[in-house]
Amino acid sequence: MQESFLQKRLRDVAAVLVVSLFMFPLFWWALTSFKPTSAIFDKDGIVWFNFKPTLVNYAVTMLGKSRAELAIDSGNTFGVGGASSYDSRQTIIDSLIVAVGSTAFTLLLAVFAAYALSRMRFRWRQAYLNWILSQRFMPPIAIIVPVVFMFHYLSLGDTRLGLVIVDTLINLPIAVLLMKSFYDDVPVDVDEAAMIDGATRLQIFWCVVLPMVKGGAAATAVLCFIFSWTEFLLSLFLTNSIRTLPVKITTFVTSTGSEWGFIAALGTTAVIPSFIFILLVQKQLVRGLTLGSLKE
Amino acid sequence: MVSQHLRALAVDAPAPRRRRAWPQFLTSEHPFPWLAPITAVIVAFGVYPLLYALWLSFFKRNPVTRINVFYPTWNWGKLLTDDRVWGAIGHTYLYTIIALVIELGLGLAIALLLDSDRKGYGLLRALMTLPLVVPPAVTGMMFLLMLDGSFGVLSMGLVSLGLWSPAHPILASSGSALAGVLLADIWQWTPFMVLIMLAGLRALPKEPFEAAAIDGATATQAFIRLTLPMLSKIIAIAVLIRGVDLFRIYDYVKVMTDSGPGTATETLTSYAGTIYFKNADFPYASTISLFTLFLVIVTSSIFIKLFKVQF
Repeated sequence: MQESFLQKRLRDVAAVLVVSLFMFPLFWWALTSFKPTSAIFDKDGIVWFNFKPTLVNYAVTMLGKSRAELAIDSGNTFGVGGASSYDSRQTIIDSLIVAVGSTAFTLLLAVFAAYALSRMRFRWRQAYLNWILSQRFMPPIAIIVPVVFMFHYLSLGDTRLGLVIVDTLINLPIAVLLMKSFYDDVPVDVDEAAMIDGATRLQIFWCVVLPMVKGGAAATAVLCFIFSWTEFLLSLFLTNSIRTLPVKITTFVTSTGSEWGFIAALGTTAVIPSFIFILLVQKQLVRGLTLGSLKE
Repeated sequence: MVSQHLRALAVDAPAPRRRRAWPQFLTSEHPFPWLAPITAVIVAFGVYPLLYALWLSFFKRNPVTRINVFYPTWNWGKLLTDDRVWGAIGHTYLYTIIALVIELGLGLAIALLLDSDRKGYGLLRALMTLPLVVPPAVTGMMFLLMLDGSFGVLSMGLVSLGLWSPAHPILASSGSALAGVLLADIWQWTPFMVLIMLAGLRALPKEPFEAAAIDGATATQAFIRLTLPMLSKIIAIAVLIRGVDLFRIYDYVKVMTDSGPGTATETLTSYAGTIYFKNADFPYASTISLFTLFLVIVTSSIFIKLFKVQF
């Protein structure tokens, strides 16, 4: 059905409008991070661009500067906590370690398991696949209490390794199903040709098939990284001193008031790595989110 | 047989080397070594805790002595008579259903809008995916700031348009708090539906639409008679996956309202969290969590049966 010129322009306008609407919170968030405290808490009207941009919020959260050092206008500052409680450098490092660690661990387990599930025919294969899939449907809250006890017993509570393990558990179903669908795209003839040449399964996997799904593995890694980077509930329950970014940011809300400038600065920083990664794997995103059930 | 003959004929061929050091199930030809590590991880940190949670739910915790006593019916009995549980079930279902309907409807509409090959639409589609990767806790904070009663941009906008009374801050009034939390969810997850619907739309065959156009069908007719039925499978999968995630909503509620005001936005997961953190009644928190899992399984099984979902 051909659209007329008018219809085309109408669609353009509507599309831009809708996408802008969805971009607005992100824009507002980034804008807030450059505002001085007085502009954030202005109750008289919405402050758009009539403020003096400042990097104070980033200096406190990213560089660990104290408020006194930066001589912030003290008119509207809340909270009595020293600047150190807003210094988020360690948080970012911890979050990165946990996200990268669990991504590596997940991928290591998933590339092997998914290969077997894609290539080998054995009894219970479908049942096993369903079992792994069912883990994705389990609410993390259902296992969190025993996991806290277990980790306490194993001295894994409040450690990065503990978070790596639980994030791996959460990511495994998606990673396995995603990798399986990438393996399924590689023709079985490839395996058979190598087998005729006398290669063992492990050799075929390592030298032939794995290099062919490198792109898919990268996309899986990105999705695992994002899921782990954004994970909130498990980190909240399992850690006290080590704080991943989503948990840390909520601690800036106190009973005496919220440091919105710092929150916005840290929040803006938090989304940057995910944004970069997600633009790299646009195509595989749908597969990942739908457990590989839809083929892009 | 054949191979024996061939071997007999090939006189000069060297005898096949026999190297059977490992039992068969430990070689790479057998699925066992491929699947054992992942199975071990899932059993140790997924299945075992689940069984442990079930075991824990049979204990009664004494709040004073902090000792757990075996009392199998205590927590489950308490669960069934706990008004807050029933309230939380209501909020959870209400939240899940409203979010699903809005996200699906909006998602489908926006997908149709962005499904164009013209210049610039690729960029719009890419931008549309960005909300998906914002940590939900950060999204919650974002909307907490924008919905703040005294200086939030959305609240101020609504008030200045005369659509909202400043006397009732959106997140602090029991009537509208759930809507505020829903707004954050809808902002973050409508793009998920858009993405899936776009993938579905892109995969549709062209021919039926061309045939319909020749027969003089309008765009609306083509959408209802062709697009929707052909997308139904994908819609069902999207609703199932999103529905299960919605059912265990925690991040937005915890960050934005902390189940309040009162218990106006308390969901099953957030109630379990409250019991865990505030009362430290671990057996009861486990019981509520398991009950949540039970409801997820029952509801999604009914859905799968009803709509014949297939992965």
